[in-house]
Parts: sequence; C-alpha cells; structure tokens
Amino acid sequence: MSTRLVGSVAATLAMVLVAGCGGSSGADGKIELSLGLFSDFGYDKLIEEYMASHPNIKIEQRKVKMEQHNTQLATQLAGGRGAADIVALEEGVVSQFRASKDKFVNLAEYGAKDLKDQWAGWKWNQGTTDGGEFVLGLGTDMGSLGLCYRADLFAAAGLPTDRTEVAKLWPTWADYVKVADQFTAKTPNVKFVDTGRNVYKAILDQTEEGYFAKDDSYIAESNDKVKAAFDTAAALGTKQQTGALEPFSQDWNVALKQGSFATTTCPAWSLALIKAGAGDAAAGKWDVTKAPGEGGNWGGSFLAIPKQGKHPKEAYELAKWLTAPEQQKRIFKETGNLPSQPKVYQDAEVLATVNEYFNSAPVGQIFASSAESLKPTYRGTKDSKVGPVFGTALTRVEQGKQSAAEAWTQALKEATDAAK
Amino acid sequence: MTVTRQETEAAPAVSVSPSKEPKRFRLSSWDARYTPYLIIAPFFLVFGIFGLYPLVYTAWVSLHDWQLIDGNQGFVGLANYVELFGDSKFWNALFNTLSLFVLSTVPQLLAALGLAALLDRGLRGSAFWRAGVLLPNVISVAAVALVFAQFFGRDFGIVNFLLGFVGIDPIDWRAETWASHLAVSTMVMWRWTGYNALLYLAAMQSVPKDMYESATLDGAGRWRMFWSITVPSIRPTILFTVVTSTIGGLQLFAEPALFDPGFAANNSTGGSDRQFQTLVLYMYEKGFRLFDAGYAATVAWMLFVVVLVVAVVNFTLTRRIAGKG
Amino acid sequence: MKNAKAGPLLYGFLVAVLAASIFPLYYSFIVASKDNSVLGEKVPPLIPGGNLVENITRVFDTVDFWLAMQNSFIVASSVAISNVVLGTLAGFAFSRLRFRGRDSLFLVVLGTAMVPTQLGVIPLYMLMSDLDWYGTLQAVIVPVLIGSFAVFWMRQACEETVPYELIEAARMDGCSVLRTFWHVGFPAVRPQAAVLGMFTFMTAWNDFFWPLIVLDPNDSPTVQVALSTLASGYYTDYSLMLAGASIAVLPVIAIFVLLSRQIVGGLMQGALKG
Repeated sequence: MSTRLVGSVAATLAMVLVAGCGGSSGADGKIELSLGLFSDFGYDKLIEEYMASHPNIKIEQRKVKMEQHNTQLATQLAGGRGAADIVALEEGVVSQFRASKDKFVNLAEYGAKDLKDQWAGWKWNQGTTDGGEFVLGLGTDMGSLGLCYRADLFAAAGLPTDRTEVAKLWPTWADYVKVADQFTAKTPNVKFVDTGRNVYKAILDQTEEGYFAKDDSYIAESNDKVKAAFDTAAALGTKQQTGALEPFSQDWNVALKQGSFATTTCPAWSLALIKAGAGDAAAGKWDVTKAPGEGGNWGGSFLAIPKQGKHPKEAYELAKWLTAPEQQKRIFKETGNLPSQPKVYQDAEVLATVNEYFNSAPVGQIFASSAESLKPTYRGTKDSKVGPVFGTALTRVEQGKQSAAEAWTQALKEATDAAK
Repeated sequence: MTVTRQETEAAPAVSVSPSKEPKRFRLSSWDARYTPYLIIAPFFLVFGIFGLYPLVYTAWVSLHDWQLIDGNQGFVGLANYVELFGDSKFWNALFNTLSLFVLSTVPQLLAALGLAALLDRGLRGSAFWRAGVLLPNVISVAAVALVFAQFFGRDFGIVNFLLGFVGIDPIDWRAETWASHLAVSTMVMWRWTGYNALLYLAAMQSVPKDMYESATLDGAGRWRMFWSITVPSIRPTILFTVVTSTIGGLQLFAEPALFDPGFAANNSTGGSDRQFQTLVLYMYEKGFRLFDAGYAATVAWMLFVVVLVVAVVNFTLTRRIAGKG
Repeated sequence: MKNAKAGPLLYGFLVAVLAASIFPLYYSFIVASKDNSVLGEKVPPLIPGGNLVENITRVFDTVDFWLAMQNSFIVASSVAISNVVLGTLAGFAFSRLRFRGRDSLFLVVLGTAMVPTQLGVIPLYMLMSDLDWYGTLQAVIVPVLIGSFAVFWMRQACEETVPYELIEAARMDGCSVLRTFWHVGFPAVRPQAAVLGMFTFMTAWNDFFWPLIVLDPNDSPTVQVALSTLASGYYTDYSLMLAGASIAVLPVIAIFVLLSRQIVGGLMQGALKG
C-alpha cells in the first residue's frame, strides 16, 4: 500500500493542479457563452441552431434547481466571478436582484429599449428600474393564471362541470369561497383547494399595490387589501377546506394522484406539473377555467447579463434572439411555456391551442385573456423577503397551529422586520 | 484531548539528549527539533488559508452592515450582536439545534457502541456486516432526504401507514415541533450510527486480547467486561466521536432543509413556524434569502461559540462517565 | 470477548439492523426502477419495476455522468490519500514526538474543528475567485487536503498502537524522524489509516454544498452536482434522480471492499503490541 499510495497521491495531485480543468474562453478561438438557468426553458434546439448560424460562438447551459440557482448567483455576484454570461431571474426574485443593478449590464446600452413593445407592458416594467432607464432583463415566459378544477369532483358535489359555467360560479374571490362552502357541505372528505397560500397570492396579485407602495415604501400594515386577501385565504384554512400542501412537493403529487383536492390556482407552466403528478388515470378529469377576479400572473422569468461576463455584447445578442417573438412561439409549441409577448400569445395558432389532458381546454385563449386583463401589482425591492412570511403564516393556520388572527399578527411583525 | 495524561506518558519518548549522543548531535537534534513542525505544517497551512481567513473575514463582516451582493454598507460595531441577543428567532433556532442534537446524537452514539460490540464478536463474513452498517452513510444526503420525506409523508407516508396498524392517527410530521424533531433526528441517526460504530470497532480491535482472557478467567460476565475493559480502553475514541458528533450535530443543515418542502420553494427554512429551523438554516435564511450577510456572519460566530461550549461540556462529561470503569 | 461464539440470536439481530440500514436504499432502488408515478401510490411499493435500465440510460443522456464520476473519483481519492498521509504524519507527531508547544498546537487543531463549514462560504468563494479557481477541481480539493478529523483520528491511533519502545529503538539505531515514522509508526496504524481513507473518501464523494457553489455543472461537475442537475426541473423526476443516486453509490462500495481487508487487518496489532 505504502509507496504506491504516496506515488499516486503525488500523481493525482499533480494531475489535478496542472490540468487547469476547463478554461472559459477560446480554446479554439470561439467565444464561449454560458446560460445559467433553472427548470426547463426549452432552449436546447434553439441553442444548437444559434451555434450553427454563429460559428464563432459556443454556448453551454447550466441547469440547477431554482433555489440553488439563486444562491449560486448571489454568491457569484458577491464574489465578482463565476456567474454565467446570461442568467435567468425568476419573477419572484427579480426585484431583489434589481436592488443590485450595478452588478448587471444595463441592456439599454445595447439598445434594448427599442424592443420594449414586444412585451406586455407589465412584463417589461418588471424587468426595468430607474423609471425605465435601466433595463435589467428581457422577459422570457410568463405565468398567466387560470383555475384548475376536477370536473368529476365538482359533479359529485352537485356543482356544474362545464368550464364556462364554472367560471360563472366565481366572478370574484368571495364567490370562490362560497363555492368552497357548497363543495365542502356536499363532499366533506375532499379538500376544496390544495393550499390557501396560492389563493392568497392570487388575490393579492390582482391589487395594484401589495406590501409596497409604488414609491417602494412599506405599507403592508396599513394596506387593507393585504389583510383582506389574508383573511379570505385563512378562512379556507380555518374551515379545513385546504389540503395544507406545499405545491409541487412530493405530498402534493400524492394528493393529486389520489384526487384529494378539487381546485388549484394554476399558472400556465403548472399544467405540465399537474399532469405529471395526477398521471394518466386522471386524464380528462382535470379542467381549467378563468380564475376569479381580473387576470393574474405567477412566475415567468427574465434573462439578465451580469457585468462580470467577458462578452456582454454577444450575450445580449443571444438573449435578444432567445426572447424574440419567433423563438418564443416555438418554445411555446415545444414546452407550453407561455410567451410574455402579445404578438405571440395573440397569434392565431397560439390562441387555438387546446390541452387534451385538461379535457381539451382552450388554454391558449384562457391564458391570453388572463394576461390581457392583468393589472399587475407593484413589486417592491423587498417583496421577495416579505412575501414568504405571509405564506408560512397561512400554512400555520392550515396546520392548525395558530388561529388566523395569531398568524396574521406574527406575520406582520416578521414582515416589518424583513422590510427594514 | 487527554492532555494531562499525555504529559506523563510522553516523557520517555523521542527526546534526544545531546549529552548522551555527542556524535550525532547536529543532525539528530535538528531533525528532532524541527521535523515535527515540518510535518504538522501542512495542516496549519491549509487551515490558515482556507479556514482561518474565512473565519476572521466573517468576524469582520459581522461588525458591519453588509449586504450579500452589494457588500459593505458601513461599520456598525457590535450592533448585530446586540440585535441577535434580542432576536427570538435566534433563540428559537438555538433551541431547535440543541434539541435536534440531543435527540439524534445521544441515542446514536449509544447504539453505535452497542453495534460495535456486536460486530467485534468474531462474526462470519465480518466485512459484509461492516459494509452493511456503513451503507447509509454512502448514499448522498439529497437522496436520503428524498426517501425519508416520502417515509414521513403526512397522508401516505410509510411511517404513518405502519402507525395506523397499531391504531395511531396519522401524524403531520412537519407541522409539530416534536414530531419534526423526531423525524429529522431519525434521518440523522440512520445516516451516522453505522459510521460511528465502525470508528468504535476500529478502536476495539486494538484492545489487547489478553485483557479479556484474564477477565474471563476471573469469571467476569460479558456485560461487565464491556463496561470495565472495552469502554475504558476505547475511551479516547469515544471522546473523539463525542466531539465530532457534537460539531456535526450542531451544524445540521441538509437534513432539516431537505425535510422542509417549503425550502426548495423559497418559502420557509425549517417549517411553517421555524419549528425545525437550526442555527445553520437561520444563518442561511439571513445570508442567502435575505442577503443580510452581516447578520448571517453574526449568527455564524455565535454558532461557533455554541459549538465550542457544548463540545467542551460534552468532552468533560463523557470523560468523567467513560473514565469510571 | 472475541472468542465468544456468535449465536443465532446475534445474527438475527444483525440481520434486523442490516435490514433497517438497507431499506431506504432499497426503497430508492425501487423508485429508480419504476416510473415517477410510483410515489403517488397509497400503499408504498416494495417490488422493483422494469424501468431501471431506461432510467439509468436517461441519467447518462441528461448529464455527463461519466465525467462526473471521474471528477468525483479524482476529488475523493486525492482528498482521501492526502488526508491519510498528512494526517498520519501530523498525528504521529502530536502523539509520539516531543516538541515545544505541542499540546497547545493540538488544542488549536481541536479548535479548528469547531469552525462551522458553511460559515466561510462567501469569503472562501472570494478567495477562490482571486486564485482563479472557480470551476476547477482544486477548488474543492485543496481546502480539505488535510482536516482536523484526520489529525485527531490518527493521533488517537498512534496513541493506542505505536509502542514507544519501538520508536526509541529505531531512533537509537539512528533512524531519522521520518524513517522512524515510515518503519514503525505507519505500519502500526494502517487499519486506522484505512478507516480514515474510507471515511474521507465518502465525505468528499458526498459533499454538495460547496461543490454546487464553486464548480461549473458542465465543465467540472462532481456526482453530487450532476445529481442536482438531474433534479433541476420544476417537476422533480424522482425516478431519474434516485437512479443517478443509486449508480453513484457503487464506486464508494467498491472502495469499501478494497479497503475492508486493511480495516479487518486490525487484528494484527495484537501481535505488534504483544
């Protein structure tokens, strides 16, 4: 063991130290661009095409889980090195990164402002700051909100099952709560909704100002709309009409498969998750319709360019190309990620899209109209710090740990701390 | 470790007295004097660069209002520490950390000791058994967490399924403090018992056989031999594992993080009411979720102090207990 | 004690222990051999399905798992070998050599073990940036080339097994400190060194917090980094991920089998001491 071992230590170490594992730029004179992504942006084919038409450019994707992606990106920005040339910023955290805009390239420098009209107004605004002077990111997809429901469970509860009829049941969220009561009265063993948290989020997202006023001042304490949204969702929890599930978690998948809840707020991208979780056995049982209130959006991302990258210009060209309407349309067709550009989501072909699994629901239409009617809420710089506090508060109510009032008081206190 | 005992035992060691060996004086004395430093140097070099520097840097950061991405926003002195002492979330995390530590480490080390004693009894196919008990430590913690998350599922988990047979109602393992602590501790125990058992086993094998033989002649039972011969003989290893599991147990991160489905969804870090949020998770929340690096560094330093105190206490306690034959 | 025959009761008990330690692994193997919907079943599945090969193929299609295994192997074996060599040397010095400040220096070693690892991630990352080590394997190797665990463990091993008489005899013969170590110290602690090598290999193989931050998932993934790429979707494909995790275990088991002879060889110390 002895001498051979020592020899191989030396050899291995030398190998590792000498072979500078992977340099970033130009082994063969090509410009190397990296894309830091999470989940599935559906870029695989597009990237191959782009490399074929731009022989001097080599592109690689880095995919990790969203949570890791954000942690890594923050570390890389703090450390001043290592971030991908183009990074995806999810809607929920984009405001947080917006606060560190000097770590990013102002895309306006490369003429991004000329592209403004491609996107829905609110989507464009989410990606900019300084009154629109600083363009942080170009929008990719969006998460127009619909409401998914199990038609068979509705039938069992004596509720209508047709999606237009169902939509008529709940013009407002107050109506939605009434339907919940009717549902529970008939079928007490099935939960009406997976989690109250997303109901809360959906209601709040339909208000103009949430936790922060448009001047970025913290107003959660005085904003009645926050309290109203919270109370509505908490009431569902208190009456045990929610499944107290973490969306997309393992338990959530199981509940889907077992058919233990009847509705869920569903952004466009979540249809695939519902389908995967519920499985083939539930095909045609799930349907999707208009959500209560006026429109809604959950999720969707932006492509931004960290300043530390070596090739900002080339990176910008690539980001611009990937987010251009033609490409967005193709991504939609391949993955179902909903484009954030009116020209695309109002394209006849997109509008005509139906989802077979969801009882052939005209998802193109439903989501496009949701996006159209959306008056998005203003997201403060610290929105992503404050928001989760109210989410966990609702979970406490659902778990029976606290009353709605207790949960609210604690949430408000924590939120005020986080907003400091 | 056993510093005092060391002193007396080490006396006859390699001290080269120059007067006795005038011939080899130069080489030997240089060798005896400096080679020890040379061979412990790599440790201090590596630690100095990759351990000490971050530690000192973190201390520096904790004295500032420091944003993760934007960096230093100004010196604030001890303000972060003052805030920390009045921060109920910090005390909550400290409580959870200590509770999880006690729940997972004490039974784990006792079980490991027992398991090692069994494995030490001339078994057939000993390598097989050893590999078997070590297996839990081999698989990546992410996969372990995934499997245990399924086991402890509220609605359809195996644990609740089995409890159902004995008439126990399903438990929401993530909602309640004690239930979540129990579940996370189970995961930790499962992963580390075999590991510690093998450490004990390695030590037990160097206990001289003749000690047992003479004890057998004296008619000592197995149980008495275990406590009066085996345990005292491997006392240093026991102390060692107590210290290392104290360190590991107080720095739990992956298990509770992955046990919380809200963690990956960017919502919670250790339960809806932080009921299983450990200090490291709290540090993570402050640093990587809220980007408050200054405060996170403060938590980190307090964690360091806690580990130090608990390790010394445990060390002293264990030395007293294991020392009595 | 060792001579006491192990009865059927003991074997029965050990089988139970083994079952408990293997069951979660078996369960992940089951999931890896089915499709993802298996996790939604009411009654937990206990029989493997027929999708194992397909899932493993998908692992290799999705990420460069060979590269990841190779990298992990380089990382884990460098870390293990270096910890064994440097740790044994340092442990030998702390236990069997006398030098000024020895005990206080050892206390420092102990103290370093208490430093929380996640504590220094940001400064460590900045340091790696300055060294231009981002995305390189040395970023995950060099900081753990020698840890307090190794020093601590090997010092203990030397305390227990290296007899002073032999060292003194070697020194009388004019052996240098290093030669004494090589001929007297190291052979005596080989079993413990093997245990140490095994454990540091495993720790390095399974480390993921730091590698995820400092490695490039395409150019320099380790197995754990590759596994997290497998789970990167909104929808976690558990079958895929656990198939990857199951393959990732194999090399570690192989190392254990290789080293187990050394570990079992602990018996030979009796002779040395005798």
